[in-house]
Amino acid sequence: MVERIDGDALRVIRDAGMGSANPPSCVTRHPLRISSGEPDFVRRVEELSGEAVFACYQCGKCSAGCTFTSGMDLLPAEVMRLLQLGDERVLKSVSPWVCASCLACEVRCPKGVDIAKVMEALRLLDLRKGETGLRWREIPPGVPQIALVGATRKLTP
Amino acid sequence: MPNEAVPKSAKASASPQTSHITRYAVPYFPGCALKDQAVGFERSARAALLRLGWELKELPRWNCCGTVYSLSTDDLMRHVAPVRNFIRVQEMGEERFVALCAMCYNTLKRSARFVAADLGRLSRINAFMDEEPDYRGGVEVLHLLQFLRDEIGFEEIESRVEKPLYGLKVAPYYGCMLLRPREVGIDHPDAPETMELLFEHLGAEAVNSPHKVECCGAYQTVANPGVVRERVREIVGAVARRDADLIVTSCPLCTYNLERHQLSITGEEKTRHGIPILYFTQLLGFALGVPEGELGLGGAAIDPRPALSQLVGG
Repeated sequence: MVERIDGDALRVIRDAGMGSANPPSCVTRHPLRISSGEPDFVRRVEELSGEAVFACYQCGKCSAGCTFTSGMDLLPAEVMRLLQLGDERVLKSVSPWVCASCLACEVRCPKGVDIAKVMEALRLLDLRKGETGLRWREIPPGVPQIALVGATRKLTP
Repeated sequence: MPNEAVPKSAKASASPQTSHITRYAVPYFPGCALKDQAVGFERSARAALLRLGWELKELPRWNCCGTVYSLSTDDLMRHVAPVRNFIRVQEMGEERFVALCAMCYNTLKRSARFVAADLGRLSRINAFMDEEPDYRGGVEVLHLLQFLRDEIGFEEIESRVEKPLYGLKVAPYYGCMLLRPREVGIDHPDAPETMELLFEHLGAEAVNSPHKVECCGAYQTVANPGVVRERVREIVGAVARRDADLIVTSCPLCTYNLERHQLSITGEEKTRHGIPILYFTQLLGFALGVPEGELGLGGAAIDPRPALSQLVGG
């Protein structure tokens, strides 16, 4: 399982996100090809998700409506901001692994960004290297197959 | 009252199982949970639909839908299972089917849209499944709630009610998969009213709960049960404060989470305390006069019969 980001680093990230001097370069609803200056992982997330991370203008609606933030180290909008900044700390976040793909953010995003797809892309970066988000020995007894199939499809390679 | 709004594709069919005349049949995809953990969902749906003159015609050789929809752009393999089910519908000579489980509905509906949007995707999947006839596209996925509302009609249902649910306070719990994303939702993503209208037509009072469209935690019950327990505490707590007798869902995973985590919070098994969780088909069947034994109420972890028996007694 990935490590949590420590509190001080998080505050720095939050401050940077809120007062950024560099507004998003583009606000299109469509996926855009980003410049070659962006880190590979950002481009990869855009390819896997089909979503434009630079379309996000940090309104915070996704974070406000997300019902799983109590288990997250980065709020959904912070995940988006770190991706925009090309900050690799987003790759260590537990938030994509706590996301339940409930799509509350997706229906509310005023820019049409499907953040659940971005979260899935971040999981896939690890899953496709063979890492897993599910510890088999810790699965609670008696969970039904609908939950097991869902969890293995989302959280294992 | 005869149902005038019958589609051309509806087919006459006789059923020996009931004295009620079954005139129509609609193809139906059950999914794994309805054959195991949520048998009451299927039994009650079949019984209730028969009372309304409809037979649920199970897809032959159906397979798992995949439970969750793949959110990545490059994962064609995840659409093979849904497409295989669409081929079964095609083989029946039908153009549509209903699903009961909200997760199945969502996964199948989104996959149907995914392959319809790009014929290249469909031809690659067809080529991969060379043992199957090609899927030609065009199969429509419906949720049973949609079918009840748009095809049978709530007025028609009301006219068949034998045991009106007067005085019963029912909290609908939609969860995610019936409503999101918008393009597959059966109602408004933030302010749905389909279940409320159904309950009111059955004579019950619909209790409005602020968390009715929020996620219960779904499959995170496997990896992060603590987070799910917090969700359930909030969802059920809000319903309890509004004095609801029952919570009604359309999803076996919501039902599992709402039941199990309620019990883990109170620490009791098979308790009469706590709020019982019913499938909408069980409530519908009860109001339509389906005998209690056919509703599968005994399988519930929190027994709903005390809440329902107050109606029979009164």
